[in-house]
Amino acid sequence: MRRAGLRARVTAGFTAGALGLSAVMALVSYQITRQSLLAEREATAVRAAYYDAAIVREGVGAGARPENISAVLRTLDTGEDRRAVLRRGDVWYARQADTGATGAIPAELQQRAAQGRPVVQRVRADGVAALVVAVPLAPDTVYYEIDSLRELEQTLRVLTLVLTLVAAGTGAAGAGLGWYATRYVLRPLTRVADAAQEIAGGRSDARLDPAAEPDLARLSTSFNHMVDELSARLERDRRFAADVSHELRSPLQTLAAAASVLTRRADRLDERSATAAGLVADEVARFQSLVNDLLELARSDQPARRGPVDVAQLARRVCAEHGVPEDVVTPGSYVWRVDRRRIEQLLGNLLDNAAAYGGGATAVRLAFDGDRGRIEVDDEGPGVSAEDKPVIFDRFVRGRSSGARKDGAGTGLGLALVTRHAAAHGGTVQVLDRPGGGARFRVDLPECAP
Amino acid sequence: MIEDDDRIRLSLVLALEDEGYAARGAATAEEGLALQRSEPADTVLVDLMLPGIDGFECIRQLRRDDDVPIVVVSARDDTHDVVAALEAGADDYVVKPVAIKELSARLRALKRRARAVTADPVPTLTFGDLEISPEAGEVRKRGAAVAVTRTEFQLLCELAEHAGRVLSRQQLLQRVWQYDGGDERLVDVHVGRLRQKIEDDSGSPRHLVTVRGLGYKLQR
Repeated sequence: MRRAGLRARVTAGFTAGALGLSAVMALVSYQITRQSLLAEREATAVRAAYYDAAIVREGVGAGARPENISAVLRTLDTGEDRRAVLRRGDVWYARQADTGATGAIPAELQQRAAQGRPVVQRVRADGVAALVVAVPLAPDTVYYEIDSLRELEQTLRVLTLVLTLVAAGTGAAGAGLGWYATRYVLRPLTRVADAAQEIAGGRSDARLDPAAEPDLARLSTSFNHMVDELSARLERDRRFAADVSHELRSPLQTLAAAASVLTRRADRLDERSATAAGLVADEVARFQSLVNDLLELARSDQPARRGPVDVAQLARRVCAEHGVPEDVVTPGSYVWRVDRRRIEQLLGNLLDNAAAYGGGATAVRLAFDGDRGRIEVDDEGPGVSAEDKPVIFDRFVRGRSSGARKDGAGTGLGLALVTRHAAAHGGTVQVLDRPGGGARFRVDLPECAP
Repeated sequence: MIEDDDRIRLSLVLALEDEGYAARGAATAEEGLALQRSEPADTVLVDLMLPGIDGFECIRQLRRDDDVPIVVVSARDDTHDVVAALEAGADDYVVKPVAIKELSARLRALKRRARAVTADPVPTLTFGDLEISPEAGEVRKRGAAVAVTRTEFQLLCELAEHAGRVLSRQQLLQRVWQYDGGDERLVDVHVGRLRQKIEDDSGSPRHLVTVRGLGYKLQR
């Protein structure tokens, strides 16, 4: 399973924390409120019961008759919530005939009251909590008051609801806070990510401002330092390749000119010298393209200089220069905003590659879709093996079927340059299997709309 | 050929002679400039990295004296160097190592340009205060002769021939320099040089205007 993101985790933590804390707070306040409400209610009930019990005791002497007892009970001002009952011996007396109330009085309580001790106990009667206060009046007479706690229960229910809502609200607020806080905290990191992306995209001058976020100054400084180091190293590598190539250019110029003088006189040389002169001339030419490709590679990380180019026309010309029939190119006109020099070289290198490994290009297909230009170069050779596909665009990688190459030319940099040229346009290169055999190189160039 | 590397100079002189040119070498700009004054060549090849007077200054001094075609032959191909050399007055720019066939093609194109100027029997063309006489090889602005190089003149004639129509940089490269897919900076720098000579304000040209994304055109 994919691990949840930092933001989701922090938010979840905030939510859980807020929820837990508010739940505990709610529980504690509920308990305290309940205890104090109950205690207060109990005290009131006991007070009232004793008050009533005093009246009853006066009204019912030892020989009072049952009718009188009920009458005395009826004089009590108990309201709706209190019910008064009296037990004398085994007989229950109530104000009305609602002796059902006696069922709410637990036997154990009756026993303890019968022993002459006043008792207060919470019970449930008819599904409603109630308070039973037992006041012994005489050895065989106990006055009971059953005080319904319905109102209190209702109050507690409302309290429960309110506290639950508050806890839920606090949890939601925690989530909101977490989300907001992470966004706030992650914002500087978003800037780091943006800068990193810019650098990856070739803008090596992207830096962070350490003053913008004092708490992240160390990160910003290290990041900038890393980028400085990296671009310095890249620049050193690039300069080295460029310097080496430049230094090679002057002697190569002498070689090229001298070789051309030699080859021009090949017919006047003896056979062995002519062969040697031919070899020198060929290798000088190859050396020359190697140096040019190296220089090209060294500066290929510069951005593309885009302008409107008829790629179809360009492709036909490049085909003609490479001895490929022009009619392999998709007919018509395709004007794209691309770097002419780079696309020309890209096409040339793909044609060279097809000639070296695939028996020559058989189709150069152009297509435009929305904003993206697509170039495909097909050959009908043996194709590219699965193990070659991942490395074929690397520098100095030559196909395993090198034997197929006739002239020994090729610098090993051609396809690497194709990748760089496509990348300079923000595009990609893929090698595919051509349906029916052979290789298909596909170049996708975004943002080509003229 | 002004080139400080003895071996390059010797080999290029040999190779150019093979191609049928009469070639002479000079190891420094000073020597080359003196040679050009005493025995003027039809075309001068200049390296940029020279001891003493450097290639850029050498081009400027050559250009001050006359409109001899100048081709830069340099190992440097940074945009900065190419543009600076062209702005100094060079007509073309090739990067070392250049194949002799390619160099020869460049020289032929320059020679053709030199001839083309006097060959076409075309009447004088007028663009507002600008008069172009292809036959005489002259440009006049409000009656006063403007000194342009042959390449600049050829460029102006191509644009004048297609007056009011846009020519793309590639078309101009093809027509003036005989390049198939050459370096468009050649056109841009030459247009810039031409504007300084024929426009009142080269910053906001009236005659030789840029058509964004397409190319250049000449208008009244």
